[in-house]
Amino acid sequence: MQRIIGILVLLACFSPAGFSQTQNATPNNDQQETIRALMQEVNELKARVAALEAKQNQPEQAPQPQATPQPEEKALAGAPQPGASGPEPLPFIRGIRFQGFGSVTYKASDASPSEQGASLGFRPGSAGNFAVGDVDLFLTSQLSNRTSVLGEVVFSEQNSGEFETDVERLLLKYNPSDYLKMSFGRFHTATSYYNTVFHHGLWLQTAADRPLVVEFSDHGGLLPSQAIGASVTGRIPSGPLGLNYILEYGSAATIRPQITTPDADEIDENNGNEITAGLFLKPDFLPGLDVGGSFYHDRINPDSDNLHIGQSVASAHAVYTTPRFEFLNEAFLIQHKIRETGQTFNTPAFYTLISQQLAGKWRPYFRYQYVNASTASPLFADVSLRHGPSAGMRYDFNDYVAMKLQFDHTIRRGLTSFNDVLAQMAFRF
Amino acid sequence: MKKRTIASFILILSLLLVCGLPAQQKPAQSGGPDVAVIVNPLNPVENISSAELRKLFSGEKQNWPNGLPVNLFVRAANAHERDVLLERVLHMTESEYKAFWVKRVYSGEVQHEPLALFSNGMELEAVRAEKGAIALISIQDVHQGVKVVKVDGHLPGTAGYPLK
Repeated sequence: MQRIIGILVLLACFSPAGFSQTQNATPNNDQQETIRALMQEVNELKARVAALEAKQNQPEQAPQPQATPQPEEKALAGAPQPGASGPEPLPFIRGIRFQGFGSVTYKASDASPSEQGASLGFRPGSAGNFAVGDVDLFLTSQLSNRTSVLGEVVFSEQNSGEFETDVERLLLKYNPSDYLKMSFGRFHTATSYYNTVFHHGLWLQTAADRPLVVEFSDHGGLLPSQAIGASVTGRIPSGPLGLNYILEYGSAATIRPQITTPDADEIDENNGNEITAGLFLKPDFLPGLDVGGSFYHDRINPDSDNLHIGQSVASAHAVYTTPRFEFLNEAFLIQHKIRETGQTFNTPAFYTLISQQLAGKWRPYFRYQYVNASTASPLFADVSLRHGPSAGMRYDFNDYVAMKLQFDHTIRRGLTSFNDVLAQMAFRF
Repeated sequence: MKKRTIASFILILSLLLVCGLPAQQKPAQSGGPDVAVIVNPLNPVENISSAELRKLFSGEKQNWPNGLPVNLFVRAANAHERDVLLERVLHMTESEYKAFWVKRVYSGEVQHEPLALFSNGMELEAVRAEKGAIALISIQDVHQGVKVVKVDGHLPGTAGYPLK
């Protein structure tokens, strides 16, 4: 018995646990065969030890049959006997699990006057070409089989090189079924597909930056990207259509810098409570396809002045993603209706991004984005009309580090067009 | 400035292409015994479709029809069962699988990625212990205490079984 355990310990030293440190390396066929043979031996010895232990502890019980049952028998094998006590349930993994995302970006631009917004860590008025951007700590903790906590804390680089801490997401999640999943806390709103999938992890997205319309509002984006409240989502019984819903109710808190006037004060929208409703389908016949839309509404009082504005955002998306191919399309209509004057300002916007993985680690991509805001808009006068293409290449060094190189050309109404070059190392840890 | 910017972009892009072209990712390779889908004997499921199997192992379907939460157990890298999961069920490489689960967890759609186990014995123990468990295991390693479910109406070892 002790000898068997000794052999087990010895073999465990050569088990794949040891190989987990180097699993990115590709072992040759001989090594794989050896590993499998050793594992087989370990399994057999484990079974023998278990059988011996069972025999020692319960000598009156008959030994377990060792023969492998035929397939037809297996379907019924091991059916629990009434009153029999099975093995204890495994404890779920407790504790906080951390994951991090970071990036270093180089940006060169010929915009005149300078138009470096607050995205990627570049602050208005900054003359430097390098920025660290957001350092993102993502944490999850499972409280029970159906309850968990999700947190995302972001450290954002500021003008002086100091970092500001921001709790981007903090959610208590309860999932009683696939048809009802509830979250309470601070979340990214379902005003766009991009906002609910990529969050602050630049490593996750193909492009070096977010399209302007879906950029975070504190980086100059147009949508109310965050709220505190409750979110409910789930499937709707619809067979192979895969219809899903999402409902959100909460308080958005949008503060947006002006992207063309670095010295101007940020606009605090003073949002009232928001409500978002969305429907999307993920059909069985084409895994990776996601088509849907959402509607958002709240009332805002920018900078607490005399304007009270009803803000509505209608969005639609058609997305097809596989591990090697990505085709993102989203369109928006942002409406601001001023109560005092009765004026209505519509801001249409869209972006499209297509990318294809080549040669394993290379992923060229192309993006086109468009935003058309009125110059009289109470919120987006600085944005005005701007559109243009972006082309780039992403190279994944390994499962953790990616290099991106991107060229942007932006055409603006009433201003000269300009070009940006972005070089970025994005990583997770 | 514009011409210089564009020229630098093209130059760096070309360099990246030249440096990176030899890097090829090894596709998942399967080849071995049929891989059975096993669940806890208390799970009433008898048959499962390929589409449902993909939804389960991609975290899209998180509960069984009787309401039990699904517990996913997979083999760690470099195991035949892992290759079959990646190649036949999810159609991904190892790297793509890792990135896929990072995105799923990060988006908040799932609580955690499937637990990766280092042996079929560990998978058997996990499935025996967890009522909502599901795992893939080579047919010759199936022992009592778990239930093998049909995939698309076929049992492992029979013609038309998809997880070969």
